Amino acid sequence: MDTQRNESEDFMLELGAITKSFGKNTILHQVSLRVRKGEVCSIIGPSGAGKSTLLRCINLLEQPDSGNMSLNGNFYDVSFPLRQDELLSLRRTCGMVFQSFNLFPHMTVLQNVVFPQRHVLRRNESEAREVALKLLDRVGLKNKASSHPTQLSGGQQQRVAIARALALEPKLMLFDEPTSALDPELAHEVLDVMRELADSGMTMVVVTHEMNFARTVGDHLVVMADGHKIEEGIPEAIMDHPQQSRTRQFLSAVNH
Amino acid sequence: MEPLLVVLQGLPLTLIVSIGSFIVGAILAVPLSLGLRTSILPLRLICRLVVDLLRGVPMIVWLFVLKFGISSPEFRLTSLEAALLGLGTISAGYLAEIYRAGLQTVPRGQYEASQALGISRPIAFFRIIAPQAVRIVSPTIATYFIGLLKNSSIASTIIVAEMVFQAQAYARQNLSISGVLPYVFAGLLYIALSVPIAMASRSLDERLRKSVI
Repeated sequence: MDTQRNESEDFMLELGAITKSFGKNTILHQVSLRVRKGEVCSIIGPSGAGKSTLLRCINLLEQPDSGNMSLNGNFYDVSFPLRQDELLSLRRTCGMVFQSFNLFPHMTVLQNVVFPQRHVLRRNESEAREVALKLLDRVGLKNKASSHPTQLSGGQQQRVAIARALALEPKLMLFDEPTSALDPELAHEVLDVMRELADSGMTMVVVTHEMNFARTVGDHLVVMADGHKIEEGIPEAIMDHPQQSRTRQFLSAVNH
Repeated sequence: MEPLLVVLQGLPLTLIVSIGSFIVGAILAVPLSLGLRTSILPLRLICRLVVDLLRGVPMIVWLFVLKFGISSPEFRLTSLEAALLGLGTISAGYLAEIYRAGLQTVPRGQYEASQALGISRPIAFFRIIAPQAVRIVSPTIATYFIGLLKNSSIASTIIVAEMVFQAQAYARQNLSISGVLPYVFAGLLYIALSVPIAMASRSLDERLRKSVI
C-alpha cells in the first residue's frame, strides 16, 4: 500500500480509460497514460491515431465521453463537464503549445505574454512585463518584444507561444505537433527551446513527428494507432526493437 | 451664398442623426450579434427574426411608425428621438450581421488558445476575439456609416431640420432656378463628408491589415 501511494505521488499526470468519439467514430478507446514528474513523454503514431485528441483531452479542449484524470495530485472525473472553476484551475496547471502557434495577432509579442498573466494570475503590469521579458530572453526573442506576431517567422512565433504558456507557471506543458508547420531549419530553433525546457525539469507531453527529439529528449515513448495506445516504454528500446507490427510499420515509414 | 448658408444650418442635425443613430446601432448590435451565434435555439431564432425585420423594413416606413404611430398623450417621441431610435435600430440589424460575419472569420485557434491559457470567456471575447473581428470588418462598417450619413436625409420626412429639410424649405420659398441650388449644395456637402471617411477607413484598414492578417 505504502509503495503504491508513494508511486502515485511521483506522477504529474495519470489518465484513466479516456474514451472519446465524434459522432459514430470512436477516436480514443480507453486510453490510459501515466507521466512522471519531470518526465518528457512523447506520443507518436500515424495521423488519425488520436494523438492530438488525447492531448486535447488533458486540458479538456475536448470533452472526453468517459474516463478519469489525476493532474498534479488533483483527481477529476472527466466523464462529465467540470464546473467552470475546476476547469479554469485544471487549465492553469497546464500550458499548451499549438501546431498553428495561435498568438494573438492584434497584440505585440510582449503583450501576448503579458496579457494572460494580467488576467489569469492577476499580476500587475510591471511584474508581468518583467516575467515576460525574462521569458522572451530565455527563448531568444527579447529584441522582438515590440514586434507584432505576423512580423515574425514561424519558428519565432512558436517560441513566443512557449514563453506565453510558461509565463503562467504551468506544472505540465502540452505540445501539439509544435514543429509540424515549420521548415526543418525553423523547427530546429523550437526544438532547442523545448530541449532546454526539458533539461530544466519541466514535465512535458509532446505529440510529435520528430523522431530524433523523441529519442534523445524523451524519457518515455507512447505509440498510438487507431485510437489505441499500442506500445509504450523507453524510446530507444521501442525505436530499435518495436514489439508490435503496427509500430514497425509506422517507424519504417517515418524513417524513409 | 444664401442657399449654402441655409443648408449649412442643417449640418449639425445631419451629424447628430447619423452619428447618434450609428452609436445606438453599434451598441445594440453587440447583444444581437451574440444572439445570432448562441447555441440556445429559441434565443437565436428570436435574434434572427429581429435582425431580419430591422433589415427588411423600409427606413421611411419605420420612421413614420415611430413618429406618428406612437401617439398617446403621455408618451410621444419628438422628431429627433424618433429619427435616432428608428435609424439606430435599423443600424443595429445591419451591424449585428456585420459583427457576426466578423466573429466568424476569427480562427478557432484564437478561442482555443484563450481557453488553454485559462482566460475567462468574457475577457476572451471582449479582449481577444472581438477586437480581431472588428478589425476585419472595419471597412464594411465604414461603408455602412457612409450609407447611414446619406440615409439620415430620410429624417427630413419626419420634420428633422437636417440638410435636406433645410434645402426643401428654401426651395419651396424660392421657386426660381435658384431653387435647385440648395440641393446641389446639400449633395456637395454629403460628398465632402463621405470622402474623408472613406479615405480614413482605407488607410486604417491598410494599417490594421498589416498587424492582423
